[in-house]
Amino acid sequence: MGEVRRGEGEVVVTGVGVLSAFGVGVGALMEAAYAGRSGFAPVRRFGVEGRRVRHAAVHPGSPVLADELPRIIGLACDQAGLSAAQRGRAPLYLAVHGDPDLPRVPAHERAAHGSDGFARTVARRGGLSGAARAYTSACVASSTAVADAAALVAHGRAERIVVAGGYLVDADQFAVFDAGRALARDGRVRPFSAGRGGLLLGDAVVAAVVESAAAARERRAEPLARLAGWGRAGDAHHVCKPRPDGAGLARAIGDALRRARLRPERIGYVNAHGSGSPAGDTAEAAALHRAFGEAAADLPVSSTKSVHGQGLEAGALLELVVTIAALRAGRLPVNAGWLGPDPDCRLGLVLDEPAPTTAAYGLSLTSAFGGANTALLVGTP
Amino acid sequence: MTAARSQAAAPPPALPPPPLSVRAGAAGLSVCAAGAWPEGPADGEPPQVPGFVVSSFSPLFAAAARRCLERRPEAAPDAVTAVVVVSALGDVASAVHVAAVVDAAGVEGGAGGAQGGGGLSPLMFFQAVPNAVAGHVAAKWGLFGPVVCVGDTAAGVEVAALLVEDGDADEVLLVRVDQATAGAGARDRAEAVLVSGGKAP
Repeated sequence: MGEVRRGEGEVVVTGVGVLSAFGVGVGALMEAAYAGRSGFAPVRRFGVEGRRVRHAAVHPGSPVLADELPRIIGLACDQAGLSAAQRGRAPLYLAVHGDPDLPRVPAHERAAHGSDGFARTVARRGGLSGAARAYTSACVASSTAVADAAALVAHGRAERIVVAGGYLVDADQFAVFDAGRALARDGRVRPFSAGRGGLLLGDAVVAAVVESAAAARERRAEPLARLAGWGRAGDAHHVCKPRPDGAGLARAIGDALRRARLRPERIGYVNAHGSGSPAGDTAEAAALHRAFGEAAADLPVSSTKSVHGQGLEAGALLELVVTIAALRAGRLPVNAGWLGPDPDCRLGLVLDEPAPTTAAYGLSLTSAFGGANTALLVGTP
Repeated sequence: MTAARSQAAAPPPALPPPPLSVRAGAAGLSVCAAGAWPEGPADGEPPQVPGFVVSSFSPLFAAAARRCLERRPEAAPDAVTAVVVVSALGDVASAVHVAAVVDAAGVEGGAGGAQGGGGLSPLMFFQAVPNAVAGHVAAKWGLFGPVVCVGDTAAGVEVAALLVEDGDADEVLLVRVDQATAGAGARDRAEAVLVSGGKAP
């Protein structure tokens, strides 16, 4: 295996849009993330009678994914300052479980409800070009979409690509996660903590404009952040359990650092996958120790899933937005829900209150079923 | 062509999509091996995969992948192989099953009781996403590259080419799965190719 490569072009993010349990906007999300105020509450959007767990972090009401995605894409494009013509040329990479209608349409209509068609419809409604593709790789779907978009922009094959992801907590996924005993029975997500009991789902509809730095400069757009590096690697270990030694995630981190041409000590913040699952968090801590050595014990880390929940296909993009906002503010969000140390998770967790930082670089990490791992390396502009 | 068609008594059957190997070759990738399920009339149901229930999606994927990987030339010992899954509908049989159980439990006022899950098998938890069987195949065959799932073949081929070009993988196992559950005219079928040495289009 040779070294990872990339095109020479610099890649930036020029606009983002977010809907989370805390409403629309990055401000409301970050306010909760800094306060460590979780959005978990009993679900009223659908019946949870008979479930082991009843909590999730959901936006009020019953938002519809096919409506919210174009709206949030519009907000990201607005922030990026894209004209209608520029939007109309931009492809969409959409991370999504699938067309939410698929399981309940009559059998003869199912073929018309593919994730690819859903992505094209969202793109058109969002004012983008019809060129769209769907990423369905569970929790790494949106980070993989960002990595692909960044790679193509770096090679100069696209001026800009809109990446979006959408998951709104629904009865079907809630039921399968509950049946799989993956949800936290105490109604809180406690990443890297002693006594953690699992994950909780959360709403996430997110969009980001990934653009060539040269194109952004030319139209005098102010970048929010640089996408300095990206990496992805597999565990080759299990259907759904992470590799306990974290080797796959550590390779993804190493590849992101190599693409960014940075040494590990330049990383000043890690927004961890930190799902709150006992095995997953231990494996991620092992990965961080592999990648950073003993420095991992003091490296500022938080999993903001403790506040906004697990956004599945859209989660990695939500957390990328949090990472960008934290670096820009020079203030790191807390790892909420923490009860006490777990000797297998020796990390520099940001606890109790936000930590000030002057770091120029941060990592957003994600792991998924099938042993899929991604690392996105963000730099201040 | 148009005239010939208009004179025909019945419309000609829709042409099957070009094989993955053709699509991959057209993108500049070199095809090292290929396999499918079924490959002939002797292929009935694909072999069961332990831990996967209800749906043909994962067995189809595993059967096509196995045939492809058994036919691969000897790989370099440290070659890193990515897995790219192409499926517009995902595991539609599992999705339909979950929806039916959830809706029935709702009608019956929470049939799951204290056990949770509303009567769903805990196995449905992981097989709801296409990554799961990709992880099964990756673990069995030692495939340490990225795992990516996309909704259409063109995207799958482009993703595979980019992974190889940028050194994220030396080769890519690209698998397309279609299920009969997709509706009239659809059938259970999976196709796998192992590709390397590509240049992104």
